[in-house]
Amino acid sequence: MATAFEKLWRLGPAAFVLKAIVVAVVADGLLLAFILLRRAYRKRYFRRRDTRVFELRQQWDDLISGKIPYESWRGNSFDRRIIESIALDAFEAAGAEESARLLHFLRSSGLIEKRIFEARRFTGWRRLRALVALGRTRAPEGIPALAEALRDPELEAELAALRGLGRTASPLAAQEILIWLAEKGLCVPVLPLQSALVQCCAERPRMLLPYVQSAEGPLREVLGRVLGEVATPALGLDLVPFAGDPLDELRAATARALSHSQSNLAFDVLSELARDPAWFVRLRAIVSLGKFSLPRMIPVLLSGLGDSNRLVRLRAAEALVTYPGALLPIFQKVVAIGDGYALHAYLTAIENADLLTKLETELQSSHHLAASEKTHLGAVLSSGSLAVEELSSVGASRAATRA
Amino acid sequence: MIRFLDFANHTLFWYYLASNLGYLTMLLVALKTSARHQRRLESHRLNWIAGTPLAPPITVVAPAHNEERSIRVAVRNLLELDYPALEIIVVNDGSADRTLEEMRAEFRLRAVRAVYVPELKSALVRGLYRSSVDSRLLVVDKEPGGSKADAVNAGLNAATSPYVCVVDADSVLERDALLRIMLPVLADPQRVVAVGGIIRVLNGSEISQGTLRRVRLPRKSIEVIQVIEYLRAFLIGREAWGQGNMLMIISGAFGLFRTDLVRVVGGYRPNAIGEDFDLVARLHRHLLDQKADYHIHFVPDPMCWTEVPSDLKSLGRQRARWQKGLLDVLLLTRGMLFRPRYGRIGSFALPYLWLFEFAAPVIEILGIVTIVLAAVLGVLSRTFFLQFLLFGYAFATVISIGAVLQEEITYKRYNDWQDVARLVSYCFFEHFPYRQMHMLWRLQGIWQYMCGDVAWRPLKRKGLQSATIP
Repeated sequence: MATAFEKLWRLGPAAFVLKAIVVAVVADGLLLAFILLRRAYRKRYFRRRDTRVFELRQQWDDLISGKIPYESWRGNSFDRRIIESIALDAFEAAGAEESARLLHFLRSSGLIEKRIFEARRFTGWRRLRALVALGRTRAPEGIPALAEALRDPELEAELAALRGLGRTASPLAAQEILIWLAEKGLCVPVLPLQSALVQCCAERPRMLLPYVQSAEGPLREVLGRVLGEVATPALGLDLVPFAGDPLDELRAATARALSHSQSNLAFDVLSELARDPAWFVRLRAIVSLGKFSLPRMIPVLLSGLGDSNRLVRLRAAEALVTYPGALLPIFQKVVAIGDGYALHAYLTAIENADLLTKLETELQSSHHLAASEKTHLGAVLSSGSLAVEELSSVGASRAATRA
Repeated sequence: MIRFLDFANHTLFWYYLASNLGYLTMLLVALKTSARHQRRLESHRLNWIAGTPLAPPITVVAPAHNEERSIRVAVRNLLELDYPALEIIVVNDGSADRTLEEMRAEFRLRAVRAVYVPELKSALVRGLYRSSVDSRLLVVDKEPGGSKADAVNAGLNAATSPYVCVVDADSVLERDALLRIMLPVLADPQRVVAVGGIIRVLNGSEISQGTLRRVRLPRKSIEVIQVIEYLRAFLIGREAWGQGNMLMIISGAFGLFRTDLVRVVGGYRPNAIGEDFDLVARLHRHLLDQKADYHIHFVPDPMCWTEVPSDLKSLGRQRARWQKGLLDVLLLTRGMLFRPRYGRIGSFALPYLWLFEFAAPVIEILGIVTIVLAAVLGVLSRTFFLQFLLFGYAFATVISIGAVLQEEITYKRYNDWQDVARLVSYCFFEHFPYRQMHMLWRLQGIWQYMCGDVAWRPLKRKGLQSATIP
């Protein structure tokens, strides 16, 4: 039996090369013709569209006030698409008053109703477009249609619906998303979901709590992250139980959320979380403590400065430089820690905040420090290295021995 | 002898056919993927992303070596990028000119001791400077390391964000480039570990103050041919490879990576010739060794514009270097070939690169030699030879026009009729003698690599400043 290679060999190129030439030349011709025809068509279309956009913009106020009857353009898909696109673009950049006017126009002209109909009736690409437009209107009446699209088998439609619901920033939309999550679990990429929930739950973060408590696995992490983002002082004590949660993400969310609650309990919990085994929990705790700006936070922040993770060290240092009145005492304590990485992080933060000159001046003019200590601190500050301090202390001890 | 020549000519024919069929398949995949990408973009409103508090921070690392003429414009361009959480690190790689002074004057740099952990290998850092005008800008001044990889590693050591975007200081980025390149990450942050951006040819376009004002086709033939090559390589090749999660190259001029992963694999290899290709290959290897579920994406939206060589000598050097880089990485990854644990990378992407990228110049040149020999010995069928040439020409033109079509129906950056007409006409002219010259440059690259000549030779560039319109 002949091998595949032998068969190919016998076939020989000449058997089809002529046909292949014809096919390739025809393909070249077709591709060229397609490019040229498409260009010509698009040129004509855009010229027509630009002219019409210009005309409609000139009549814009009459159009949205209804002086020009909606029926006169609503039936014409070309005009309708242009008007809707202008209105939605304007809506995204509009202030409160203008938004209300545009929303009234979108409602009374029937554009929202039409998009709701399309979002419910159509499938695939056309449904996707309707969902995007509906989301851009931020109209509450669009929420049920968007929520229905969350059950679409296509991931892209689900995402468009999710984004649309997020745009409405309404607790009602949050409710729909949470119910859907309870039904289907985590079935979409995390970030669009988090983003939508953050927008929708900002007004009523408490609604998340029962879902966080009952959720499991990755969904619990996602909801925890959202909770951390939207938490308010009012929620402070409700979050404390989560500080002992086995899920790192939830403890991090608690640490983030407690930044809004300036209570003693919050401080105690955050101090505890600043020693958490997970680095990002410690990071969140340090960032939250940094927002308190109370002197009693300084020891915890100083311990954060000696953390094994450099992001934690950096954030602790950034928080410490927000105590401008205590610049020199804090610097003394940082040097006393004897950790080169802690010193480095602190000096980085000092320089980034442009406080180096101030610290130098404070050091020079300080009356509380002994001259030798001033020299040591000055040397550490100028060299940015503890080695100098160690060398100086070695030098001082040698001098003492000699004496 | 005659039997050998017959065999060689047949092999050449089948090789050529397979190579073009491969490209044709990629063209079809790319057309489909692009259409889907365009539709997806409809539902991604970039300004929504720009406003989200959840967008992960990005550090942009831009190495600069002797860029005094364009550095001000380039850094200003980077600072104007739309992204909510951004850090810009410019690495002055031992410039012998006034690059650092220019930045010092423009951005009021002051010396700082920012956290710099020399985790990745790089030459000695002389100093770190932060801008008083915009605190997002950090300049790392270092001793010359002799390679871009060395400079990027220094930037990576100073980076504090979970994602790092490596760009060339002499490239022009579109304002929403970071938002666009982050789309795959935002959609699936768990799986997406790196994203490659498209590189387009800047020559001929009008730019003002580092911003692209009008896209035009370059005037010189050698540059127009490169436009077609870039369209073919990015809009067809990388788009299709990316779709199959087999993207092996993320261009050094614009690519996004997860910082922790780049650090885990040891950053850029300082002595790599094609450092971008080398890094992606090592990322694949590391992640496949870990049995990780990951994706390396490609985003085809026009985002990064770069200057290409405008003379034959520089172009020849560039292409020889690319071939050396290819061979360098292929040799280093030869252990991945056909091993089941490396999945489609080991069984498909790497063999393809060996067969159709590395071996192409060798096989084509050998093919020409055997055809000449056959003609001399009188065993060459003249009719068949002409038919073969015609077929090859027409088929290759289909691919090139397909690339132009892809640009035309998706991104359509060349709006001028004249530009499109020229672009299409060059699809017919690029095959002779450019293609043969290209093969010789690549062959030269292989030869230089085998002789141990891996030194980097500077290319002649005009710089951003020269392209600025008054």
